[in-house]
Amino acid sequence: MAIEILLPKLGLTMEEGTIEEWLVADGAVITIGMPLLRLATDKIDVDVEAEADGILARAVTDGATLKTGSVLGWLLENGESAPNGAAPSAPASDSTEPDAVRITTMQSPDQNEVVPSGGRAFVSPNARRVALELQVDLTRISGTGPGGRIVSEDVVEAAALTVHDATGGRPGKVLSPLARRDARDAGIDPAGIATDDGVVRRSDVRGAAASTPQTNASAALATTPVNQSGGSLANSETTSIIPMKGMRGTIAARMLQSLTEMAQLTHGFEVSMDAVVQLRADMKDQYVALGVAVPSLNDFVVRAAALALRQHPILNATIIDKEIHLLGRIHMGLAVAVPGGLMVPVIQDADQLSLPELARATRDVAERCRSGSISLDELEGATFAVTSLGTYGVDFFTPVINPGNVGILGVGRLRDSGKWEGETFVRTQVLTLSLTFDHRAVDGAPAAEYLQTISQLLARPLVLVS
Amino acid sequence: MATPTEALEAVMPTTRELVLDLHRRMVRIRRFEERAGKLVESGDMPGFLHLYVGQEAVAAGVCSALTDADQITSTHRGHGHAIAKGADFRPMFAELYGKTTGYCKGRGGSMHIVDMNRGMLGANAIVGGGIPIAVGAAFASQYRGDGTVAVSFFGDGATNIGAFHESVNMAAVLNLPVIFVIENNGYAEFTPQDRHMKLTDIADRASSYGIPGVIVDGMDALAVRDVALVAIERAKRGEGPTLIEAKTYRYFDHQGIKGMRILYRDPAEVEAWKTRDAINLIEAIGVERGLVSAEEFAEIWAQTEADIEDGIEFARNSPDPDPVDILDDVYTS
Amino acid sequence: MTTRELTYVKAFNEGMHQVMAEDPDVFLIGEDVAGYGGVFHMFDGLLTEFGGTRVVDTPISEQAIIGLGVGAAARGLRPVCDLMFMDFVGVAMDQIFNQAAKMKYMFGGNVSVPLTITTAGGAGMSAAAQHSQSLEAWLAHIPGLKVAMPASPYDAKGLIVGAIRDDNPTIVVLNKKMLGVKGPVPEELYSIPFGVANVVREGSNATIVAIGRMVVEAEKAAANLEAAGISVEIIDPRSVQPLDIDTILTSVKKTHRVLVVHEAVEFGGIGAEISSQIQESAFDYLDAPVTRLAAPFAPVPFAPILENAYVPDAPRIEAVVRRLLERK
Repeated sequence: MAIEILLPKLGLTMEEGTIEEWLVADGAVITIGMPLLRLATDKIDVDVEAEADGILARAVTDGATLKTGSVLGWLLENGESAPNGAAPSAPASDSTEPDAVRITTMQSPDQNEVVPSGGRAFVSPNARRVALELQVDLTRISGTGPGGRIVSEDVVEAAALTVHDATGGRPGKVLSPLARRDARDAGIDPAGIATDDGVVRRSDVRGAAASTPQTNASAALATTPVNQSGGSLANSETTSIIPMKGMRGTIAARMLQSLTEMAQLTHGFEVSMDAVVQLRADMKDQYVALGVAVPSLNDFVVRAAALALRQHPILNATIIDKEIHLLGRIHMGLAVAVPGGLMVPVIQDADQLSLPELARATRDVAERCRSGSISLDELEGATFAVTSLGTYGVDFFTPVINPGNVGILGVGRLRDSGKWEGETFVRTQVLTLSLTFDHRAVDGAPAAEYLQTISQLLARPLVLVS
Repeated sequence: MATPTEALEAVMPTTRELVLDLHRRMVRIRRFEERAGKLVESGDMPGFLHLYVGQEAVAAGVCSALTDADQITSTHRGHGHAIAKGADFRPMFAELYGKTTGYCKGRGGSMHIVDMNRGMLGANAIVGGGIPIAVGAAFASQYRGDGTVAVSFFGDGATNIGAFHESVNMAAVLNLPVIFVIENNGYAEFTPQDRHMKLTDIADRASSYGIPGVIVDGMDALAVRDVALVAIERAKRGEGPTLIEAKTYRYFDHQGIKGMRILYRDPAEVEAWKTRDAINLIEAIGVERGLVSAEEFAEIWAQTEADIEDGIEFARNSPDPDPVDILDDVYTS
Repeated sequence: MTTRELTYVKAFNEGMHQVMAEDPDVFLIGEDVAGYGGVFHMFDGLLTEFGGTRVVDTPISEQAIIGLGVGAAARGLRPVCDLMFMDFVGVAMDQIFNQAAKMKYMFGGNVSVPLTITTAGGAGMSAAAQHSQSLEAWLAHIPGLKVAMPASPYDAKGLIVGAIRDDNPTIVVLNKKMLGVKGPVPEELYSIPFGVANVVREGSNATIVAIGRMVVEAEKAAANLEAAGISVEIIDPRSVQPLDIDTILTSVKKTHRVLVVHEAVEFGGIGAEISSQIQESAFDYLDAPVTRLAAPFAPVPFAPILENAYVPDAPRIEAVVRRLLERK
């Protein structure tokens, strides 16, 4: 009997979704758990996986936008016809997709890095040599080296994946094209991912990525506006095309919306972190002894930012029809870089949480974003947001406000500085806060006062841990 | 000028053999230089030459007092010292032509003639550069106790360079068997002596180092030989170095025969020095004292001419160096 | 072979004693080398053992010291001429680069100059601009010279013996700051030839080519990096002329990333030569630009805080290696 493939409702507010692309051909033999299609919502993009075995009969085509619960297709038994009467084409043999073609179309390298404006891909000489040896097409690889350069490790990793492609996967390993892509993005060898049934799904790759030391290159994308260049680039030699859809499309639309609808400007503000660093060091052993996650410096900043919002409610607001609505609860959005984009999970009532609770909640949502297990509900309802690029070495930047908010706080790199104490020049550790605010709601001075409050809290951090 | 010639005459008389020997050395130098100068001016020979013509008595007089085991260092104007020390025309011309059969296999050219078999430790194109090296050669003589000496030839201009002062002082301190021979031709390149030092007699500089300073007529080969013998004996007795200033003159220009035609000296001055020509002087002595006939001197000129033609012929017919060997002898392996 | 711990300067001194005992043609000459034993005590005991004919004090006359060595060497002796501080090389430069270096070639191979020049270079002792320099690139630039920079007591002994036995003009540059550094040294006479690099440490992620004392700093950095899971190979060329580029290239082809570290100023330093040769011969094996870490283009400053900032050290080496290996 035909099993319906329905458009799932992934969050409380989700009403519709777009078929980004079918991942398997019409008439393909499907086993349970196999990713069938890629679904885009306005927040995230997800794979819809088969809930049963069968032969795929598609009901809709790529690009269709449908209400949740709509029928997208069926999984049929052998010889069965689709309910709408359309008989699926004959099942294809084992290999349903020419992988190489699929890889080309699905490849989404970090274009800003691989193909700079000049059209030249930066590839280390050794990577070129190794690519020639291993027969790897460099245009299909994202660079992870300094400046986005493709280094030999990228080629070796890509070659390992290509070998799997050619052989249809190692014995016992069935890899979906998207999982393969994700693995490549995350720099993970899918052959090393253990699954119960030998099928490596995207969720498995995400899980593996989350448990791998974070070497994510995607953060730079997070605040990079989409290039809308109107000039002719005819002689720039496009080497690959990345469709701006799914998460990429969502980010593009929301960032453009933010920057066109708001009057955004940014204050840079240097704060001393000496007291926080000292306090954290003092408390570290106790936290460890108690089995409690040691709060990061960023957690201190988020905590201070949340507390300070209580004193500066103008920044915890939303603009609705020429009215500024000050919001009573402080729900903190936290920008999290994930492969291929950015998510902003929300911590409800962040100002009510103790520092260890905040630390735990932050880690939890970040990990679930990276593993793909975050729910759509948890990505909704932020009243303010914090984004950190400090670990990437950024000091000052201009974060883009999430639509619906009036502010976002950027956290820069902890760095050494010096200051005069009387006649002595002493070492001090500082970081730069970058507060972007919507000038329609917030003026420069109140924005600065909010930063001063954060600075004062960080200077006397005992209050943050109380 | 103080010359010990008369005193020495008793123990080292001027013999027929000595006159012939000095004459031969000087004629060979002169004709070699004149021919080589013409060959460069005609474009037949590469590079440029610092010619020794006029100063022959200094090289001939000193070198006639040395053995092949004694070492000399020379200057950019070094053909005369090499020839006086016994160098052959064939490898000399070959070197000037840049041929593999040259003394330096075509690597050194005019300014770097070397003949280790005859104690010619090399001509040196850095003014004063050979002086410390002669001190080192003398150090080796002393170290080995082999009874040899070292001589450094250099010009009046070189006595203004630091290496001269360091070397003479050190040789004096270490009591080394070395003779410093200043060939004072009155010019440091184009600058006359009174414009490059306050001294009239450079031999006076010896007093700064506590060694003897001797002045000799550099146009008189016999006189030069005599002071050289005294200095050599002194060195061999372990009494240290001597500074000899030979007053002489360069007939040709600093470089080439006609040089750059810069008028930095009076033509009358050149002519005046030529009246005291060293070869004329030795021929006059030989004939006057009945030691050597004019015909015998003429025979030396003729033989020299033949040797020169032979040398040029040899050089022209010698193979050029092969560029594939350009790295040979940078290092001793 | 019996091996025990000796300081760098004692190891050098032992090499001098043994090679002078072996070869009567070897003599030592320089300022305060005999009675005083050298200002760094490099030559302690030599006068007593070998006497005033073979161990000779001189006036302060660097040109004449080297020139004497050139002349004596041309006559077949094996002089060791000491220049005390490497900065004084400049005073004697004509004899070094116009005479010693060129005689063999200029005289068509008829003369060999088995001269050894000893001197002490390097910064780190507040000796300021005229007693701290590292001028190896100057010397290495001259065809005919050989230049070694021992980076351990073992090499200090082996390289001075190798230098004296070499038939070419050699310069052995001791490092002042390493004089008291201890390390294993065999008692027996042994020789390290010039032009054979030392793989100080094997590794797989990056290569550090370190010159002179920078080898010691590189080793410290490598230990830290190893704790962080980064495996560093350290190559000490030992002699910068001749340069054992083959060993460097082999390493580069293995690690694909190279840092060249020296105390001398970066501009025109030996690191520029090494970098250039690497990119010419192993371009297709590089995953990152060949990188140099060296002194800024300034004379060596006096104040300790300035001098520390001037000379590369382990933390900076470590930071650059991390940057070479950075992946996003």
